[in-house]
Amino acid sequence: MDQPDPAIHQTVRLKIMAALKALPQGEAIEFVRLKALVGATEGNLGAHIGNLESAGYVDVEKDFVGKRPRTRIRLNKKGRRALEDYVAYLRDIIDMPNAG
Amino acid sequence: MPPLSPNEAADALRDISKTELRSAKAYGYRMTSPHLFLWGAIWLAEYAGFYFDPHKSWLFSALSLVGLVGSFIIGWWMKGSRGTYTSWRYFATVVLAFLFVTALFAIIPPTTAKQMGAFFPLLVALLYCLMGIWGNALRMGVTGLALGTITLVGYFYFPATFMLWMAIAGGGALMLGGLWMRSV
Repeated sequence: MDQPDPAIHQTVRLKIMAALKALPQGEAIEFVRLKALVGATEGNLGAHIGNLESAGYVDVEKDFVGKRPRTRIRLNKKGRRALEDYVAYLRDIIDMPNAG
Repeated sequence: MPPLSPNEAADALRDISKTELRSAKAYGYRMTSPHLFLWGAIWLAEYAGFYFDPHKSWLFSALSLVGLVGSFIIGWWMKGSRGTYTSWRYFATVVLAFLFVTALFAIIPPTTAKQMGAFFPLLVALLYCLMGIWGNALRMGVTGLALGTITLVGYFYFPATFMLWMAIAGGGALMLGGLWMRSV
C-alpha cells in the first residue's frame, strides 16, 4: 500500500475499526457502547460510521428493543482486511531503513 | 495525502492497540455480567435456605444444578447474538473444577458445613483474582478480592450467622460485581 486507505486514515474512524476488530468475528456492538469506547460525540460517531459503511467496511443494523431504538455496528470481512492492510502500512513506515 | 512520519505511524499503532484492548476488555465484562447476576441470586437462595433450615442441605446441590443449567442457557443466548461464545470451554471448566474439588475433598475432607460454605466462595474469589491479573481485568480482580474478604470476615468474625452473611454479602457482592461490569 503506497497511500493510506482514506476511509480509515482518520483518528476516530481508526478507533472505531480497532474497537470492532477486537470483538469476536461477526459480533456487533451497540452504538452507545461504541461511543463510550471511542470517546466521540453522538453526531461525530454517527457521521464516521456512515463513512465506514459507505466504504463497505461495517454493517449497521437498526431495530427496536421494546420501544427503544437500537443501532448495532459490526465489522465485516472487507473491513477486517482493510484494517489489517492499514496496520501493515503503518508497520512498513516504522520499519523503513531511514525511519526514526 | 501527505505520507505519515514514523512517529505518527507509531502513535497510530499505539492508538489501535489501546482501543482494541479496551474493547476486548469491555466485551469480556459484558459476557461475564449475566453469569455473576445469576450466581449471586443462586448464592443468596442457597445460603439463606441453609441458614433458615440446615437440614435441607440438598438445596445446595439442587440450586447449583439450576445455576449450571442457567449459565449454559446464558451462553447459548449470547451465542445467538452471533458471537463465538465457546460453551465447551465453560463445560470443560466446570468438569475440571468438579474433579479438582472431588480430589481435594478426598484428601482433605471438610468437617463442618461452615467450612464447605467458605471453601467454594474462596475458590471462586481466587479464580476471579487470577482472571483479573492475567486478563488485565481490574473489575474482575476487585470483585474476587471483595468476595474473598467478605468470606474471611464472615467466617472469622460472624461464625454464628455465617450462612446468612454469605447469602447477603456474598450473593450481593456477586450481583454488584455483575452490575459494575455491565456498566462498561
